[in-house]
Parts: sequence; structure tokens; C-alpha cells
Amino acid sequence: MKEKMKIESSVNKVMVCCGTGCTANGARQVLAAFMDKLRDNPNFEVVPVLKATGCNGWCEKGPIVKIMPQDISYCHVKAEDVDEIIDRTLLKGEPVKRLLYRDPVKKEFVTSIHQTDFYRKQHKIALRNIGEIDPGSIDDYIERGGYKALKKVLKEMTPDEVIEEILKSGLRGRGGGGFPTGLKWQACKNTPRFPKYIICNGDEGDPGAFMDRSVMEGDPHTIIEGMLICAYVLKAERGFIYVRDEYDLAVKYLRQAILDAREHGFLGENILKSDLRFDIELVRGGGAFVCGEETALIKSIEGYPGEPHDKYVFPTEKGLWGQPTVINNVETWANIPVIILDGAEKFASLGTVGSPGTKVFSLVGKVVNTGLVEVPMGITLREIIYDIGGGVPEGRQFKAVQTGGPSGGCIPASHLDLKVDFDTLTREGSMMGSGGIIVMDDTTCMVEVARYYTNFLAGESCGKCTPCREGIRALVEILTRICKGEGELSDLQLLRDISEVMQEASLCALGRTAPNPVLSTLRFFEDEYIAHIVEKRCPAGVCPALTTFYIDPELCTGCTLCKRNCPVDAIKGEAKKKHEIIEDKCIRCGECYRRCRFKAVKVR
Amino acid sequence: MKIMIDAREVMAYPGETILEVCRRENIFIPTLCYHPAFKGQGACRMCMVEIIDSSGQKRLVASCTYPVSDGLKVITSSEKIKKTRKTLAMLIAGRSQASPFAQEIAEEYKVKPLFFKGFENEKCILCRLCINACEEMGSAVLAAVSRGVDKRIETPYAEGAEECIGCKACAEICPTGAIEVKEENGQRIIWHKTFDLIKCANCGKEFATPEQIKFIEDKTGRKMEKFLCEGCRKRQTAEVIKEFSV
Repeated sequence: MKEKMKIESSVNKVMVCCGTGCTANGARQVLAAFMDKLRDNPNFEVVPVLKATGCNGWCEKGPIVKIMPQDISYCHVKAEDVDEIIDRTLLKGEPVKRLLYRDPVKKEFVTSIHQTDFYRKQHKIALRNIGEIDPGSIDDYIERGGYKALKKVLKEMTPDEVIEEILKSGLRGRGGGGFPTGLKWQACKNTPRFPKYIICNGDEGDPGAFMDRSVMEGDPHTIIEGMLICAYVLKAERGFIYVRDEYDLAVKYLRQAILDAREHGFLGENILKSDLRFDIELVRGGGAFVCGEETALIKSIEGYPGEPHDKYVFPTEKGLWGQPTVINNVETWANIPVIILDGAEKFASLGTVGSPGTKVFSLVGKVVNTGLVEVPMGITLREIIYDIGGGVPEGRQFKAVQTGGPSGGCIPASHLDLKVDFDTLTREGSMMGSGGIIVMDDTTCMVEVARYYTNFLAGESCGKCTPCREGIRALVEILTRICKGEGELSDLQLLRDISEVMQEASLCALGRTAPNPVLSTLRFFEDEYIAHIVEKRCPAGVCPALTTFYIDPELCTGCTLCKRNCPVDAIKGEAKKKHEIIEDKCIRCGECYRRCRFKAVKVR
Repeated sequence: MKIMIDAREVMAYPGETILEVCRRENIFIPTLCYHPAFKGQGACRMCMVEIIDSSGQKRLVASCTYPVSDGLKVITSSEKIKKTRKTLAMLIAGRSQASPFAQEIAEEYKVKPLFFKGFENEKCILCRLCINACEEMGSAVLAAVSRGVDKRIETPYAEGAEECIGCKACAEICPTGAIEVKEENGQRIIWHKTFDLIKCANCGKEFATPEQIKFIEDKTGRKMEKFLCEGCRKRQTAEVIKEFSV
């Protein structure tokens, strides 16, 4: 046995990231090439193990291939590169330099992905296994300590001790609400009615967010284990994982994981020879954003339209089919096994006092390193955007960052040293939400941003209560007219008044947070609103009705880049001579403005 | 249990909502989506009141869904509540431009409606009472379909529903007359479907559809011998009572 272990640890492992981003960039072809070329390869004594893993997070650099145990990571790998990797790295043990990550500042090649700036400040708990295991293999999960926490609670802990541990860890719901998980479990346990139900909320709907997706696609068993621990506490027998319908890969791996867990005796009767019996059903959502709201999600599982109802009585008392129910987000569940195994103190030592632990963020928008990051709470926005994300690309200026999905607020550069935790972000008029971070540069019009997100919510509100449905309709109508240059100064007060009522009177959190984009941009970028209304000018050059572009003859080098990219031939000028925009023809798309390398195209 | 409403102590029973207690105590709270026959929906939000929790914090809650608890403190009128109702009135009247009922609400709250584009012929305020009526009285064919600003009341696929019995309970409960019912030549057209009408055996008034009669017969398990309209049925019952009391 020891002999076999030795061989295994010395055998090369080739791990191809097959997360959604890498797959879109051709990871499956890379995987197929490895499979083809490693199979029956006579040059190997022991053929390397090939694994398709979940998302490594650094989607910007995908497809990523990691070679273990040497810990060499390659970026932007194509199927054509496979021969060279096999030949040089797997057979000769040397890295292929041109595929390594090159530090943009130090200009040095970095062998291990873990030594890059992108990874160095990260601390992985919820994502601990992702990128390291094959999500389709329960053995991989078990090899990395999977289901040990379940064994521990079954053998060594009483339900109350488990709750005590979760309470001590200070874990708060990662779906956005930030409600203490331990209190939720305790409330449900104290409701003396059975059956009780357990739900995993995997209806991730924020545009540009893929935290839960990555966990479901990359480490499905951690969710099952978290739910099992809760089932033991509550004596629940049925659980549901509600997955957003568009997440095909997540559905595939979760389905596989549930089948494998049943086969291995982790789901079903007498789990691990104890009295625990629990099984999980997979429910596919119907495509509504609002079903991420827990009462709407519960309605949806029951077969009704996904409309929230007032939460004056919590689901822990009256949830699914009127029974006591614990509903937690994917990332919350992924934290549970770690808290049980490593102890609450260790978890609580990370992050801040009010928000312990780590949080996964999807970092997207105008930032160099887009991708998925897991960082300790309390880290500043600046660290996330500049140290991990590498800042704003192409020499553009940072303008604002939006946190918390479509109903989050926009935070300006002056507030970049804000600590990222539940309470700080809420206090500043934004929110943690489920963890979306969208970076915007100076080519972004903040009025248009507010209009865009409010318009998204106009289609995704459930439409049940008046303040949310009609309030959003009013906000969109007012914002649209401001963007068209038809706004009046009194509109600003109207926006504020309607927003205030929406925040106070809406039925669910969607409506109560829906005015955040409007209120935060009004607070930090009121001058842009005024420029739109009074000067009839869009300072960022985005709103077509209010934008005029011109070319500064001092700066123009006559490189013809703008002329070649103009979709309507509205730019005249010969090579190496000053160019000019023909205003009548210009459709104000901004293509020249964004393309110009000399910042010669200006907004009037 | 005892609860405080506007500094007045009143009796309340477990399971009641704030609104139910207020109605019994003759404390006025405006509502649009509430009907005593149904459970509170919390949809229109006109019935928002303030409650004061144990730490002295005030917050707005929908009185039609908020369950009372011992010692609960409720405020039914304040600046915040007034502002909320005013804004809601402005939005509702802005949406339901063709409904005199909705315009009266705006007048009552002295607000200028924020008229939305494309809603010039809209009467519905989406109070959803018709859905409740259809569920309780009819065969549950109505639903609030679509999402967000496109929400509207419809039958499945906006077609005549097989299960619809044409009882028009929906139209009768509608506060704004938003549900179109056409009755002519012995027929009733409602929700994309045409029904025959049965005449009252006594007065000859057309009053019900055969589907409706069958639905009632199936539900009650009793065959109707004589089809009488509501008025004639009442009169007949009164006669019977009179006979017995003599």
C-alpha cells in the first residue's frame, strides 16, 4: 500500500481547467489532445493521470493546464501546445517558458500559478477543492478530506454542538442577506414540527456573477456534505438543490454527485451506519432572477409562480409546504465542512469581527485579471481591484466599482479603501450581494449605468407589489429621459422620493434594494446627472443624444485606426494627416473614442 | 392578547393580522388588494403601517400580512406612512390611467399622477383580487403572468381556458372594471371564451352559464331542480322562512 502511494505521488498529474470560461476558450480540445496523446504512449513507464477540473478562477488566462507535483501552470493553452508540454514537461521535467504567466511589472516568468499576484492574496475555503479535483469523481473529493466532517459530526458531535460550532464561527449567509447561519439552523431546530426541509439556493442570477456556478460545477460534493451536516442537526430527511436552469454543467455534475453519494452510502438510509437518513433532489429553476429570493424559490419548488411573500414569519418556521425549512446559498454550504473539520476558531480568525471567513467574488468589467477570487473579508476594494485584479487596462482611468449585482450600488475611487464586508458595503449604499464586482472605467456613463441596471430589474422584478413594479417603471422612464437629454432638475428629487418609498415599502429584498444603482450614482456622481440635464452633455460620451465627438488636431497622428473602425464612414482624413469627424454622419457609437491610442478623440 | 394601536390598547387573537384587528376596531387603513374573504396578499402596499420593536426601532410593515403578537406596538398614521401612500397613489394613478377609481385615489391623496407612456387605456391596478376570486369561487384559471413591469392578469397562453366556467366572479370583484364582459344575444363573452346563458325560471333574467351550474352541482353534490337567479332565489328562501315562522 505504501509502495503504491509513493508511485502515485510521483506520477505526473495533468489538470486541465474545464470551467465555463476555459471551456469556452477551447479547454475541451486541449483535454482531448492530451487524452489522445497520453493513451498508450510508449515513452512513459507510468502514464500521467489526466483530470478535467472545475474553474481555477483565472478565466482571463484560460485555458489553464496545471502539472503536478511540479506545480507548473500554463496559460492560454491550445491543443497545438500539447505535444510540446508532453515532450518537455512530462518527459523531461522542464517548463515550457512561452506558456508560463509573465508578471507584467517584473517581466519575469512565474512557474506556479499560486505565486502570481492574482492568487497570492487569496485564501481558499469555499473554493478549496476547485481546480484540484475532477468534479465528476467522488474519490477525488474523498481523497482531499471529503465527507470527513460528516463522519466527525455523526461520531463525535451532538446536534447542539454542531450549531454551537457554526455560531462560534460567525458564518453569515453568503447569498447576500448575511444572516448568521447558526441562528438560522437553531431557529429551525427549535420549531417543533416535522418534517423539516433543507434547501440549497443555487439560483445565481446576477449578470456577470459565477461564484455559485463554479462551486456547483467544480466541487458538488461539498454542497451535499454541508447539507448532510444540517440534516443531522435538524433530523431532516429531504433536501433540494435549486439550480438555475441555464447551468447545464452544474446540473450534470450535481446529478452525478448525488448518484455517487447514494452509491457510497452518503445519501439514503442509515448513512455511515448511523440513524441519519437523507436524500437530495435536484430542482431546475424556471429562469427567473427573482427566484434567488428565498420565499420565491420556495414557491417555485412548490410549483407556483416564483413570487415572494412577506417574510414576517421566517422559512425556518414556515417554509417549503408550510414546514420548517433551512435555506442556504451554495457558498454557505461549501463553508460548513471546513468549519466542522478545522474548527470555528480558525474560521473566525479570518476576516473581520462582524463578517468572519472569506468571500468569493467574481471580478469582472474593466479590470486586467477578470476571474473568480476568494479573499478574507475585510480586504479593501483597492486590494481586490489593483493587487489581485491588476487594475484598469489600457491606461484608462478607474471610475467606479459596482458590488452586489444589479441592485448593488456604485462606489467611486474616493471610497476604494472601504473594507469589503456585509456591514460596511451596506452602510455605503451598496451591498455585498452574492459577490459580484464590476469595475468601470472613465468611458462609463453613470446615468446610463443606473438606467441599465434599473432596466434589468424592470424585467426581473416579480411584479407583485406596487412600489417595486411601478417604482422601477417610473425610475426607468425618468432615467431614460435624462439620458435622452429631456430631463429636468426636478427629476432628481422625484428619483429620490420614489427610491425611498421602494426601499421602505417593497415586499422583498429585490424591491428594497432595486433603487441602489440610482441612489448611489446620485450620491457620488450627481454632477453627471446635472451635466445631462442642464448642459445637455454626456461627459463620458456614452448617451448618443448628448454626445459630440471631435478629433483634437494637436494629438492626432493620422494613424487611420479610427477611420478604419468607424462603422458609418464618418471620419475623413488621409494617412499621416489630421483626421476629422463628419458630424452629420456620426452615430455616436464611441468606437473611435475607445480605439484611439493617442486620446485624440474627445468628447465635447 | 393585547396590542397597542396608536397608543390605544386593543384585544387581538393569535393568527390575526394587524389589519384584521384594525378593521374590527374601526381603525381606518386604506387597502386596494385586501378583501375579507381572502388571505392578505401584501401586494398593493397601501396598508403599510409602522411597528415599534422592542429596541424602539420603527419600521414599515404590510398590515394585511403582519401577524400580531403580544405587546405589539402599531402606528397607523405618520409622516412616513403618508408619504408612502402618496407615492403609491401617484404610481397607481400613473399606471391605471383609464380607471376613474385609480384617478380618484390620486385626488384623494392630492398627488399628480406620474403618467406612464403606453398606459393610456389601462384600467387594471393589479390588485389580484380576481385571481383570488377565481381560485375560491371558480376553477383557478386566472394568474398573474409574466414578470416585472410586464405583469398582467391572464388565462394560460392568453386563450379561452377549458376550465373557465364563465362565472365572472373575477369581473364582479374587480374594483376598476378592468375585466371585459360582453353579454348579448343570450351569450356571455369573457376571457377569450363564449358561453351560453341560462335564463332564470322565474323572472327570465339571463344569469348563469351551464358550465357554472355544472360546477356548482359537482361541488355541492346536489342537482339543481330549478334555475333561479340570485334575486329570485333569495325571494324563494324568504318565502320558505316566512312559512316556517308562521
